[in-house]
Amino acid sequence: MASSRERERFDEDLHIRPLRDGKVASTFSFTTLLQDASPRDPLSLAYDDESQHYTLFPLALGQILRTYAITELHLALNAGKWRYESWGFPEEPGVGTGAELWAWMGDGASTTIDERWQGLRNALAGLFCASLGSMDDQRTTSPFLTFTPEGSLPNATLPYRLRHATLPSEHVCTENLTPFLKLLPCKSLSGLARLLNPHRLFDADWHGMSVHVTWREGQGVEVRLIFQTVIDPIRNSGGKRRDWSFESLFGRVVENRCPVATTSRVRIQLPSEETYAILPDPTSNADNIATYDTSVGQDPLDVSMRWPEEYAFQYQITALDLPEIPLTPLTLQRTLIGSSQAQGQLSIVIQNTLSSQIQTIYLETMPWLVQLYIHTLQIHCNGVQRNDLISNLSYTPSVPHARPAILQSVLTLPPKSTLRLTFDITKSFLRYTEHPPDAQRGWDLPPAVFVPIISVGNRSDVLPRLYTPTLLVDLATPDFSMPYNVIILSCTLMTLIFGSIFNLLTRKFVIVDLKQGKEQKGS
Amino acid sequence: MDSGLVFPLLVAGRLLLAFNIPPDTLKYDQQLSSPLTSHLRLQEGIFLYLNNIDPYSGGVFYQSPLFLSLFSTILPTSRVACSILWTLCDAIGALALVRIWRFRQRVASSTRDGLIAALYLLNPYLSLPAFALSTSTIDNTLTLLTLMFASQGKKSLSLLTLAFVIQLSLSSILLLVPIFMLLLSGPVSHLASPHPFSFSAKRVLPLLIEFITYSIVLMIASTTVSGSWAWIPKTWGVSLGLPDLTPNPGLWWYFFTEMFDHFRPFFLMVFSVHLIIYIFPICIKFQHDPLYAAFLLTGVLGTFKAYLTLSDPGLFLSMMPLFPEIYPYLAHPIVTGLLHLHASLLLPLFHHLWISQGTGNANFFYASTLVFGMANGAALVDCTWAGLRIAIGRNKEGYEVVQE
Repeated sequence: MASSRERERFDEDLHIRPLRDGKVASTFSFTTLLQDASPRDPLSLAYDDESQHYTLFPLALGQILRTYAITELHLALNAGKWRYESWGFPEEPGVGTGAELWAWMGDGASTTIDERWQGLRNALAGLFCASLGSMDDQRTTSPFLTFTPEGSLPNATLPYRLRHATLPSEHVCTENLTPFLKLLPCKSLSGLARLLNPHRLFDADWHGMSVHVTWREGQGVEVRLIFQTVIDPIRNSGGKRRDWSFESLFGRVVENRCPVATTSRVRIQLPSEETYAILPDPTSNADNIATYDTSVGQDPLDVSMRWPEEYAFQYQITALDLPEIPLTPLTLQRTLIGSSQAQGQLSIVIQNTLSSQIQTIYLETMPWLVQLYIHTLQIHCNGVQRNDLISNLSYTPSVPHARPAILQSVLTLPPKSTLRLTFDITKSFLRYTEHPPDAQRGWDLPPAVFVPIISVGNRSDVLPRLYTPTLLVDLATPDFSMPYNVIILSCTLMTLIFGSIFNLLTRKFVIVDLKQGKEQKGS
Repeated sequence: MDSGLVFPLLVAGRLLLAFNIPPDTLKYDQQLSSPLTSHLRLQEGIFLYLNNIDPYSGGVFYQSPLFLSLFSTILPTSRVACSILWTLCDAIGALALVRIWRFRQRVASSTRDGLIAALYLLNPYLSLPAFALSTSTIDNTLTLLTLMFASQGKKSLSLLTLAFVIQLSLSSILLLVPIFMLLLSGPVSHLASPHPFSFSAKRVLPLLIEFITYSIVLMIASTTVSGSWAWIPKTWGVSLGLPDLTPNPGLWWYFFTEMFDHFRPFFLMVFSVHLIIYIFPICIKFQHDPLYAAFLLTGVLGTFKAYLTLSDPGLFLSMMPLFPEIYPYLAHPIVTGLLHLHASLLLPLFHHLWISQGTGNANFFYASTLVFGMANGAALVDCTWAGLRIAIGRNKEGYEVVQE
């Protein structure tokens, strides 16, 4: 027992950041490290697995990882639109609306990558009560340039494969949070997880949970469970003050510490140019970050932050001629243009706010419902056509009823410029059984992903991924009450014509003498 | 007017129209070009092909690899050049139709030439798809060239163009038998004097071998161009398996949109076999006049083909002037004409209401495709009737012609 405690390590962390629009972004992260462990060798899938003993590591997740020999796994379930311009980069980059699942797996096992991917989806769907099982081949891609492994990949002799799928219409709610909390060693009974109160979390302006499994060479297998929220304290205070506390944000305080946690800390990002008051006194304060260690100091802990000189929060009025300076180097806009249900145009507007050139990886995953026409791609930079700004274009066309299209390329954004990409698209016509029950609502298209790369001299920094908001596409619907009518009407027309022609072709013409009633042979 | 002047005037008029139609208004029109003939998809296929992405790996490009090789090398792809090329194709088609008429009448020229060319070049069912740069224009031209060479007795040329047509659109295989018969007998009208068709295997076999050789050569050329056999399921297979349910004026798309999944393969088989089933009865009954049999089978294609566009019934209607002898025997030409008028008004209207306006639903457009199917069917049935009835001759007082 003691030895396994040494092998496993649990750390919890809460990062709170007041945002400039008065909202508060909080990131809970719970990290369990299985020291010196390594992911299951895919080649051993043909044999029974050696037994695993976990005390802190989530058993339900561990079993799934072993069964399908997953090296790296990322699952995110988010609701809402992350506003990069006013909220900046999130702590955890996977903030695309809906569900997103990606996994790196070693090839060469007795079962194929796709069988293991299917098993993984279904197992996670069962574990997290989410419709991940419907991330089938129609949604699965392998964009390995954009979704590079975050940890290390063991045994480089095996080829490693990526499977990635998104489900933009998936929603997050309590039924996903409950199994999420069950994976924690202290559940939501003690420690920072005590603050994960579903009534407040799902009332937030933005919320998302994610699970990340990585393997780090020399350290072991790490599971990070992340919950991010953006809560609006102004809304809760009657539209005036942006003061917040644990009690006002989450409706709970940290009553006692989680006994198995090695470290448990709360970090608060402090404003740099405003007068504020923070209570209680932090354990340490460095680089505008106040840190509280919940293992020292008296319980319960309720951190609160006030802006004493401010009577009511002043929203920044964003005039058209003087827009707010975005907090990310890129701002993204993606729209579908055109009212027709048969065709339209996809437009992506990317703005580079830096005074230096940025390169960005651009990933577009398009379900077969919407057909992209790559030859119509046009790039306008500040209104001037510049098709040379796109390079390294790789494209896999979609297959109806089977596979999405995937477009990966590198865009070059000149300093302080606005790039506008347009594609012509056509919208598919589906079989009546392929429409969802709420067919008139439309279909959600997955977000496009951008990975900015800023080069300074010879060094290039890869920034976190940026997701565009999802799109809703309106597809033409057939009449759902008509199958029998259509079969009957079309078949009637065909038999009418068929019958008439074969009647003419098979029967002989004869001439009848009307006076004598005699028949005379004709042709 | 002098027929020598009519033709250049018509072509000039067509060119004028082609240049004055705003380029993007017809590009997406689903009644003028199907996924198998769309110029937008052709351009996408050429783009993918030139960028070393297999166009047949996806679900955009369903056209023949021959188009890929031609348009990426010798043929132009710019809008203006394509407009000229498509008008030229229609002009060749009209010339071929005029020459078929001359071969059928065994005359060097006639006063009817101008009329026949005009009815081809001014037929809106044919000119609108040409303005939309639908590749069905090329298919139609090649079909007419095949018939022209067959009427002329140029065996190799007609078999080669036939192999091309089938390469471009599989359903044209319906014309194989009547074209063989045409090569073995002749284009001259025998509708009024039926006689049995006689042939010897000795004459058929070399033709068949020649045709199969051309087909195999073209298939190998296609495979070389596209790099694999993947083009077969993505061109020929598509017209049998119907993976794309884009609306068109034909009967297949809504039927298979509304079809129960477990019956889909069965009905796909039924619809394909239904096309083939017409070949032999029509060819046997009209064995004395294979050109007429080919004309009727064009009508079958123009009614029941998968991925039908307006240019398929357009070809059938524009071939009608070749057979003026049947006009007195048509039973209900006015009804057929009114049905066509009705359908050609309803089709664009209801398509717009459903797809663009959003005020109508799919049933509106489906109903107008049924009317259009009825119009084409009525024309086909009437032509079959008249082609058989002509053999009896005029009605005499006190006598009536009935079917046994």
